[in-house]
Amino acid sequence: MTIDGGSRTRVLVVDDEAPIRLLCRVNLEAENMVVLEAADGLAGLETARAERPDVILLDVMMPGMDGWQVAESLVDDEATSHIPLIFLTARAELRDRAKGLELGGIDYITKPFNPVELAKVVEKLLDRVRRGERDELRREKIAELRTLLVE
Amino acid sequence: MGYLLLALAVGLLVAAVVLLRFVRRRNGEPDGNPSGPAEEPPPPPQRTPADPATSLSAGFARAPDAKTVARTLLDEVLALLGVEFAAVALISEDGKEATGLVARNDGEDVAWWPSVRIDLENEPSAIASASFEAAPMTIFDVESSPRVNRRLADRVGAKSAAFVPIVSGARVLGVLVAASTHRRRSFPPDEMARLEALAGETALAFEKTRSAERLQEALGRERLVAEIGRRVRSEHDVEAVLRVAVEEVGKATDVARCFIRLGEPGTPMPIRAEWDAPGVQPIGVAAPNLPVANLAVRKRRTVAAGDVANDPELEDPTLGRVETLLRLGTRAVLATPIQIFDQVIGVFGLHRLQPTEWNQSEISLAEAVAREVGLALHTAELLEENRRRLDRQAALVQAAQVMTSELQVETVLQRLVVEVTKLLEADAADCYLLDARRGVLRCAAVYGLPAELIEFEFPADRALAGEAMRRRQAVVSGDYAGEVDGPHAAYEGFTAAIVAPMIWWGDVRGVIGVGTGDPDRRFSAEDVEVLEAFASLGSVALRNVASIEQSSRQLRIQRGFFRIASVLAQPLSLDETLDAVAQAASEALGGSFAAVLMPADGGLRLAGSHELPGAVAELLAEGLGGAESLRDAALRKRVLASPNVEEDGRFGNDWQRLAGEEGFRSLVAVPVEAPRREQTGIGLVFFAEEQAFSDDEIELSHHLAAAARGALERAELFEAERRNRAIAQQLARTGTLLASELDPDTILEEIVAQAPGLVGADAATVSLLEGDELVVSAAHGEGAEAAIGSRVSAVGELAGEVVQSRGPLAVGDARTDGLVSGSDALLEAGYAAYLGAPLVGPEGGVHGVLAVYARGPRSWREEEVEALAALAGNVSAFLSNAELYQRVVLERERSMAILGNVADGIVAVDRDGCVVLWNAAAEEITDVAAAEAMGRSPADVLQRSLEPDETSAEGRGLIQIRRGEEEEVWLSVSEAVMRDPAGAVAGRIYAFRDVSSDRLVEQLKSGFVSTVSHELRAPLTSIYGFAETLLREDVAFGDEERRTFLGYIASEAQRLTGIVDALLSVARLEAGDLQVQFAPTDLREVVSDVVESAERELGNGRSFVVEIPEEPLDASADREKVRQVLANLVDNAVKFSPQGGTVTVAARRTHDAVQVRVVDQGSGVPQSEQERIFRKFYRAETTSSAAGGTGLGLFIARGLASAMGGRVWVDSDVGRGGCFVFELPMAVSDAQERRVGK
Repeated sequence: MTIDGGSRTRVLVVDDEAPIRLLCRVNLEAENMVVLEAADGLAGLETARAERPDVILLDVMMPGMDGWQVAESLVDDEATSHIPLIFLTARAELRDRAKGLELGGIDYITKPFNPVELAKVVEKLLDRVRRGERDELRREKIAELRTLLVE
Repeated sequence: MGYLLLALAVGLLVAAVVLLRFVRRRNGEPDGNPSGPAEEPPPPPQRTPADPATSLSAGFARAPDAKTVARTLLDEVLALLGVEFAAVALISEDGKEATGLVARNDGEDVAWWPSVRIDLENEPSAIASASFEAAPMTIFDVESSPRVNRRLADRVGAKSAAFVPIVSGARVLGVLVAASTHRRRSFPPDEMARLEALAGETALAFEKTRSAERLQEALGRERLVAEIGRRVRSEHDVEAVLRVAVEEVGKATDVARCFIRLGEPGTPMPIRAEWDAPGVQPIGVAAPNLPVANLAVRKRRTVAAGDVANDPELEDPTLGRVETLLRLGTRAVLATPIQIFDQVIGVFGLHRLQPTEWNQSEISLAEAVAREVGLALHTAELLEENRRRLDRQAALVQAAQVMTSELQVETVLQRLVVEVTKLLEADAADCYLLDARRGVLRCAAVYGLPAELIEFEFPADRALAGEAMRRRQAVVSGDYAGEVDGPHAAYEGFTAAIVAPMIWWGDVRGVIGVGTGDPDRRFSAEDVEVLEAFASLGSVALRNVASIEQSSRQLRIQRGFFRIASVLAQPLSLDETLDAVAQAASEALGGSFAAVLMPADGGLRLAGSHELPGAVAELLAEGLGGAESLRDAALRKRVLASPNVEEDGRFGNDWQRLAGEEGFRSLVAVPVEAPRREQTGIGLVFFAEEQAFSDDEIELSHHLAAAARGALERAELFEAERRNRAIAQQLARTGTLLASELDPDTILEEIVAQAPGLVGADAATVSLLEGDELVVSAAHGEGAEAAIGSRVSAVGELAGEVVQSRGPLAVGDARTDGLVSGSDALLEAGYAAYLGAPLVGPEGGVHGVLAVYARGPRSWREEEVEALAALAGNVSAFLSNAELYQRVVLERERSMAILGNVADGIVAVDRDGCVVLWNAAAEEITDVAAAEAMGRSPADVLQRSLEPDETSAEGRGLIQIRRGEEEEVWLSVSEAVMRDPAGAVAGRIYAFRDVSSDRLVEQLKSGFVSTVSHELRAPLTSIYGFAETLLREDVAFGDEERRTFLGYIASEAQRLTGIVDALLSVARLEAGDLQVQFAPTDLREVVSDVVESAERELGNGRSFVVEIPEEPLDASADREKVRQVLANLVDNAVKFSPQGGTVTVAARRTHDAVQVRVVDQGSGVPQSEQERIFRKFYRAETTSSAAGGTGLGLFIARGLASAMGGRVWVDSDVGRGGCFVFELPMAVSDAQERRVGK
């Protein structure tokens, strides 16, 4: 189910805020992606397991199960651990970003963001993941973050 | 002249020999000189393939003696020459005689040859020629030759013969003879050369065997002598010595008799030991007439008579008769004198029955044995003499013991005569004592004489005794009967006697004599010595007897000494000792009673007594009653004796009267010294009877004085020791008492209370130095307290002197000391004696004076001075301690005050980690009382240690503790380690303060920033995102979509505004800048409004129940703000309600207010949170952080409610759901507007 295989990229958006989910859907579908939605952490987890999306955009501050917990569960589950995770959150502090990367995220997009660019960013990241550079990607992001932290 | 002739003869002889040899050489004859072969080698051997000399040498080497050597030679010669006869004759050392050694004929020894004797000087013989010329010779025709010995030649039957000398060095040892008996023959030169070579070998062999024989012989003799010597010396009995000597020599030598005669030269010298060979007749009584032995004695040398029958030396008839010897069958005699240190004491003799020349070996043996016997006899004699001496000495010692142990003179003298008789092996002994007055000797003891002789008297100048007394030494009579006119018939029949005088202290007191009736008994000088020794023993006994008269007095004296000694042996007090001295003096001198007076109060006072009558005691209690002579005696340490006091001018009337009344006549005064006190008193012994004091008694008195001195010194030492011990104990007690006292004033009080008791004083003060003055700071004793506060100069007298000298000062009597008035308050108050000691501080400075006082004058003993000084030294130490302690206490109190009042909690723990300090702030912060915490560890008290979990940037640690049941408190802790001087950890101090609220604010602030950030970013994201989306040109959105997007932009913008409003409200609330428009407001309307809005905006699956009354609920409030409060509460309720839950909003009127309750079905609010939730930025733990909200809602709600005069609170418990109550005052008629400020 990859672009190479002729299929469209399937993106799972987990966010409790309906406007954000809508924003993502509209803009990603405009780029020929398939968008799945979940309004809270638990639903996001279930959808991820059932649908095995190509990538998950994950909010952090959600009622009930928050994004951190969802990420941990996804990584712990063999069925979902391979799915690239991109945090999409209003928590802009560096230590939150570091935490996201440490929990297995490949990138961390802070709100507000330009939804028009979203698909491009996602595509670019997935490209590298497909090239088997997932770990390298994360290391780059962490190194980048560390530079910022030191500064 | 004779010498010249001799020299000439020798010269001619030498010339002749040289000439002869020369001629022989010329004739081709062999050279007779044994050294010839060296110049001219002998021709090779003719017959034997082996060198005959070699085999001969081997044979000689094995030959044990000359005969064997000769046989070997002869067999060789017989074989070599093929002749029938060969022989060897030996030439005597002097060359005068030849004797046959061995001859061989047909392989057999020729039996007669050994008995051949040839007189070389007088008999013609070829042997003599060969010997003299030391050269070989041959005789072709023996039968007609004049040069041979006819006797021998005929007996051998020689036809031709050769003679070869056996030469060793310069001496011809013998001659080898070879003879042909069958026919005449010649001996060619080669044969002669052979013979000469053989003779040379033989000479060597002879020399060897001869020296070996001599050696053997000498060894044998030495062995024999040694053996005899050993045996002789091992015997100490003279008879045994002699017996051994004769037996051993007799057996070892080939003799018939061996004997020893002993005696001085000129006396008969009887035989003392004799050994006879079996069957030989003993010498018997003939001994004195043995001429050879007598000759040896007379000549003091060995005489060897080979044949007594033909010895001109023995012809002297005074020597004895040769016939005596011949009658005994004796022909040869060897006699040698036995001597000790050049004195002949006997003779040693050997007899042989055949005439025999005694050889040197035998002579040496005899002489050696004689020497040994002489030595042995000497030794034995010495031993014997020694034994005798020992016996006598033992007897003397025994006798002496008797003398000294017996006091009965008769018994002593009796023993004396018995012992001396036995010892001197005499028949009798007697002892006479001199009665000098009457000039007679009276018999006191006899032994071996009739008993009636006792008491017999005779004039002291008579008989042997008289002579002995005159000469004052022992006299001996060897012919008593002839020389002495015996004083009594009992002495008849005595043949010899000795009498010795008994002398004592230069006076002859008597005599002792021994006598014998044995005519052979002669008294020697030694016997005289023994008797003299007994005589002196006798005088000792006499002296003892003389002293018996004094024995009773001595006994008394001895008892006196014993008494004194027993006094000395007991550890008595001084008083007891003085009494004991009095008793000892009285008993020793045999007095009736006695007294001892010692110096006191400027005179002599009664100090000890024995049986002293009251009146006398009364007199002496006040002194000597005017008897200055007694005082004088004491001062001069002399003994004073008054035989009759009543008549003695040295004593006054009092004494004379007292003597009459109390019945004493005499007295003796003895000085009594107390050496340690350097005092001299006097001991008085009173006698009922008039005494004539003897020198002995005066001397005893002196002894008594010395003994008393010893006893007193001992007692003084004992007293001093006891006093010192008491002082030491008192000091120790005081020390213990004061060491625990830490208040300086109390110490001073104690000191002045204790000090008088220590040294037997009546009062005490302590003065402390203040500037130039000494101030009495403490005082004890009658009237002493008045002195407290009085001041004296620190450079003045007494205390001032103590300060200046830094040493103790003792004043025995201040009244006589001429002190300046005002120098001491107590002395002015009437105290008489003063003793002061400095209080010396730890740094060595004097800071006061401890003084003690006595009411009356007294002397201060050294140990008392030392004790006070020691106490003063202690006082200084105690005071320093106390001051130090005071300082420490002050310091401690100050520290405690500081610690107690600091705002920080201070906790100190000791090295074991137990709490020793828990200040008030600590109590408050931890809610644990100090009393509860002390002694426990902080971990025990607080359920956790004070070691920080984390450390802040400023180096302070942060810990969290629980205060009370539930409250968590954060403490900022700093820690300091206390170390002791050695650097070891002695404890720790923790300082902490409660930073819970700071920390909470910090946390909340941090949470707020991220929350606000999120709350702002969320709506911004939508607004910005939808705007950007709408701007997309690549996607054509439908109208519906566009409207949705725009709707979101609008609502999110509104949300953003709400958040900003809330923040603004907070800012206003905090700044007190809130505008409230009071107006009557019907809460029913507001509630409906808010719920409606909430249902619309927040519903999200929750249902709302509104309970409002029919009638209006007017409150005096700002409508908008009420709406804001309610919206917050409802919003909150919705947020904490589960999905599908119900939020109830109920409004009602109460007594004077209107209330709105907002109830949800959530988990409720725990008690601990119920206040906190109204704090700024607070967000409940129970909600996920993702639940959103700024944490300002309730803060704003309460703030607004208060601004309107109302309030908001929680009325809820965990599990029952949340219930927030909003109350407002009821509306008043007049609407008003007022400004609300903080």
